[in-house]
Amino acid sequence: MKKLVIASLLIAGSLLAESGSSFENRKGVAPATDSLYLKECGSCHFAYQPGLLPSRSWVKTMEKLNDHFGTDASLEPEENKKILKYLVDNSAEKFTNYKRSKKINDSIGKNETPAAITKTGYFIKEHKGIKPKLIEQKEVKSLSNCMACHTKADKGSYSEREINIPNYGKWEDE
Amino acid sequence: MVKAVFALLMVVSFMQAYELNAQMKDFMDSLLTEAKKQNPNLKAFDYARGEKIFTAEQMGKKGNKISCVTCHTADLAKKGLNENTNKVIEPLSPSANPKRFSDAKEVKKWLRRNFKDVYNREGSAQEQGDVVTYIINKK
Repeated sequence: MKKLVIASLLIAGSLLAESGSSFENRKGVAPATDSLYLKECGSCHFAYQPGLLPSRSWVKTMEKLNDHFGTDASLEPEENKKILKYLVDNSAEKFTNYKRSKKINDSIGKNETPAAITKTGYFIKEHKGIKPKLIEQKEVKSLSNCMACHTKADKGSYSEREINIPNYGKWEDE
Repeated sequence: MVKAVFALLMVVSFMQAYELNAQMKDFMDSLLTEAKKQNPNLKAFDYARGEKIFTAEQMGKKGNKISCVTCHTADLAKKGLNENTNKVIEPLSPSANPKRFSDAKEVKKWLRRNFKDVYNREGSAQEQGDVVTYIINKK
């Protein structure tokens, strides 16, 4: 009996340790991994990590793909459903152990449903003070183009020392 | 004589249509059937009509002038650039990029989306068939 108790305690302990380790505090956002998402959304733009927006934003986005920032990005209902599930399952409010997901999520009001990552309070605050000509230049074009400056954005990493702005270089806060 | 044969071969190779796989042939056949329903005089899809569809500027969905060339460039063997997102677009020509025009589901999806973006409406079956005929055969 004693052995059994010890064994079950050990199992419980290892389970806890495992779930603990997967939810420990992390930098950045969880990388995007879903192959359908990467293919369908990543063919036109940077595959934004699901943890960059709360689920209610993803629901809104996927509802109106036929007018997606002015272009038609419509999918077959079956694909739409699968991608929406992936986005919602991995959205910002569910992964607040990731620093960027938490900061983004905390910056959004309860009644707000931002239509884009660029419309969230945290994003706006972090991108303040960048000269418009650095954003408008052809290598960047808009703040939606993460990879233009965040060299490891595709890994879910947005650390300041990884920034390299075309025709400007490293970013240093003034 | 040799020159003449060579020239003839050049012409023949130029005339030869790009060989689609079975699912894409089925797709083109169903487009043609549909197009003939709407236009009983239609005999076949046409490269020149397709070229016009691909290159002519329109008032697009976003309300600015746009054509297929805007993002895909006029050289279909070259990479293009999505003008909204700056994302590189792999070459559209199947001779440069064999993945293109091999999956009918993909082709349907992109025809639906891109006609909406450029023409701000769906493409008719004839228009879709013409533009595909142009893209796959352009040298």
